[in-house]
Amino acid sequence: MKKKFDVKSVLNVLLPLVLALAVGAIIILFIGENPIEAYAALIEGAFKGKLRLGTTLAGFTPLLLTSLAFIVAAKAGAFNVGVEGEVLLGGIVAAYIGINWTFLPAPLLIIACFLGAMIVAALWAFIPAALKAYYDVSEVCVTILMNSVALYITNYLVSGPMSAGTTIAESKPVAVTLPKLMMPSALNAGIFIAIVVTIVMIFILQKTSLGTKIRLVGTNPANAEYAGINPKHTFIKAMMISGALGGIAGTIEVLGVHGAFLNNFASGLGNNGMLAALIAKCNVFTAPIISFFIAMLNSGAMRMQQATNVPKSLIDTITAVFIIFACMELIGNLKKRAAKKAEEKK
Amino acid sequence: MLNTNYVVEMKDIKKSFGSVHAVKNGQFTLRKGEVHSLIGENGAGKSTMMKLLYGMYPFDAGEVTINGKKYEHINPKAAIEAGVGMVHQEFMLVNELTVLENIILGFEPKKGLTIDFAAARAMAQKYIDQYNMDVQLDKKISQISVGEAQRVEIIKILARGAEIIILDEPTAVLTPQETRRLFEILNNLREDGKSIVFISHKLNEVMEISDRISCMRQGQYTGTVNKAETSPIELTKMMVGREVVLNIEKKTAHQGGVVLDVKDIWTSGEKEISKIRGISFDVKAGEIVGIAGIDGNGQSELIEAIAGLRQVEKGTVTLDGVDITNKTVKQIRDAGLTHIPEDRNTRGLNRAFTIGENLVEVELDQAPVKKGFVINKAAITQRAKDMIEKFDIRPADGSLPTSSLSGGNAQKVVVAREVNLGGKLLIASQPTRGVDIGAIESIRTILQDVKEKGLGVLLVSAELEEIMSLSDRIIVMHEGKITGRLAAEEADEEEIGMLMMGGYAHDKKGE
Repeated sequence: MKKKFDVKSVLNVLLPLVLALAVGAIIILFIGENPIEAYAALIEGAFKGKLRLGTTLAGFTPLLLTSLAFIVAAKAGAFNVGVEGEVLLGGIVAAYIGINWTFLPAPLLIIACFLGAMIVAALWAFIPAALKAYYDVSEVCVTILMNSVALYITNYLVSGPMSAGTTIAESKPVAVTLPKLMMPSALNAGIFIAIVVTIVMIFILQKTSLGTKIRLVGTNPANAEYAGINPKHTFIKAMMISGALGGIAGTIEVLGVHGAFLNNFASGLGNNGMLAALIAKCNVFTAPIISFFIAMLNSGAMRMQQATNVPKSLIDTITAVFIIFACMELIGNLKKRAAKKAEEKK
Repeated sequence: MLNTNYVVEMKDIKKSFGSVHAVKNGQFTLRKGEVHSLIGENGAGKSTMMKLLYGMYPFDAGEVTINGKKYEHINPKAAIEAGVGMVHQEFMLVNELTVLENIILGFEPKKGLTIDFAAARAMAQKYIDQYNMDVQLDKKISQISVGEAQRVEIIKILARGAEIIILDEPTAVLTPQETRRLFEILNNLREDGKSIVFISHKLNEVMEISDRISCMRQGQYTGTVNKAETSPIELTKMMVGREVVLNIEKKTAHQGGVVLDVKDIWTSGEKEISKIRGISFDVKAGEIVGIAGIDGNGQSELIEAIAGLRQVEKGTVTLDGVDITNKTVKQIRDAGLTHIPEDRNTRGLNRAFTIGENLVEVELDQAPVKKGFVINKAAITQRAKDMIEKFDIRPADGSLPTSSLSGGNAQKVVVAREVNLGGKLLIASQPTRGVDIGAIESIRTILQDVKEKGLGVLLVSAELEEIMSLSDRIIVMHEGKITGRLAAEEADEEEIGMLMMGGYAHDKKGE
């Protein structure tokens, strides 16, 4: 199964994108606003100036990782809705280590934060993975439920034992942070980490024997089992990698963006990553583009709402329409129809 | 132009699925009251032709005339109204309903608001008596045999007024005895003036039952002959375009020690009758042991248990002195087992992957396929090139996905991978199911070669003829048990058929 970076897969993303924006434009017309103005405000809000561009990129960073997390699990045949919980748990572990292990020098402390977050988030993902592999419990149900559990665990910790003692639920500030970029935006060196991790993951999935096994299991577990690849173990491994990626995202948010653990900071990160992955049909090359697009929509939406009367929730509509169009495989269908017509003419 | 002699006339039929031209030039005529066989290899387009007649797909071009009426489009409803009925290869029966309920499903005789079961029963009974069908109306479909289910299908279409009856490979799932019974019914139907289309690739059956025989090859009509004026050899030529040797000369290889030793194993089953209940046998180096039996009598479960794909509940399996009972697939493969599974599309191949990737999927953790952490693309390309040449896989491009291959070539990919591994025992489960004659010929030759190289071969096949022409020893299974063990030279079809249905024959030759 070769998934090369080809023109068709990019077109398959671009065409639905244009159509989704067109549907958005029609809705804006109904609201009585000028769609060109609204979209201009959206783009301005996403890119104009250091702060806005930085904010877009800062929003892009976790999406890159959470979409990748979803994709790795999906390649093994899992529908991992639990990335958000993994981000939260990774974040709380990073915060705990970042606050308490001050005996470590700063660079080692950062590494410890990442490792701790990855391990705990991977173990968290192990639970639904093992339940699915050995007891055939739907990983979708389990991960949805476990997201709530993760939220409550972290909520309890930052309201109680790890609380900074302020009125809002957050932890004390961590002792190390990732270098800030494009101040005063939230952008930080985490974006480079996310990019490197993405490249490594693409390499693992496409080129290594582990990645090949994951894809074999995801496309045909019966065949993988017969070939001597343990589909259960492989499935669990992929889910744990997925969890670890969520943990990295959580760590970047805590050490890079917030400097502390804010209650429920991951809200939407997991879901938006999942949406990006679904729009990209779990193609590792197009998912980053979609992640960036969603980050752009989210950061530009407020500006659009301020500049025009278009509510920022329109963004959700555009994303939803985007998903529908993307899932229709427009390019493939159009080509088929054209081929049929050509044949009929003959 | 209208020829009133024919109840069905299909002229210059064309049908493609995407870029595949399933039928390029289809011709077919059917006279009233004849059995007309349509023969051809798998993929020759014979089933497609008849599905077009039954209206399951629209035809792209050509003319279809039924009872003198010309049809531009046919759908199954129109076909049924015109008196066409089809018994599909896969039965269309509801397992949880009774035979009677299945027969009337969709056109139930009504009495007020309720179903008139008395009338339904009388109607069904009429057909049973008229054609001597032997069907138990109150049994559930899940409780009756395949042969009986087939008779239910025939009653079903008769009850819908069929005068033209299409049977798609009806004998593929039957024992010799059941086949004979089916032929009696077909003869009764013919005498009653029904017109029958018999799709098959088994020439001996075709020669027995037909009045006329039409042949197709690669979507092309290659001719129609009267049964009385033809011979199996001529038919083969029409089917394949050349002469074929299917009865490969059996060679006796030097037999060595026991390679596979199965001792009193018990397993779960997909169905009640396919549970393995205490089976023991062995396979020696340099011999082919054939397992005969009607599909679903535990053969699949037995193979899965040996290959590590199903839990062995009791008993032991030993491969070349190594206990492999309930070991992982990898351990069992490392001990020397290679395996052509019965279902190449789900077990044997990953259709999303290329030919090359499928050829190496068992060796992902070994050099040269794995180099450091990375999969060695060059090694895969090389392997694909070698195997394609050695096993004549077409098209000869290792980077194509296996989903684009024909049945025969897809099977050759599986055979190439497993045979290339070497090992000590080769399990070949339905190795020629759904492949064309050319591939059957080469796969059977390969199995002989493997045996001559000194491997043990365990062959499972629903084709009795395949078992008999390849095996040195034959084991017959029925309902998860061994009902007979025969030396190949002493076995005859009749006796194996009895054993397949659970009848007892004395052990002619033990182990």
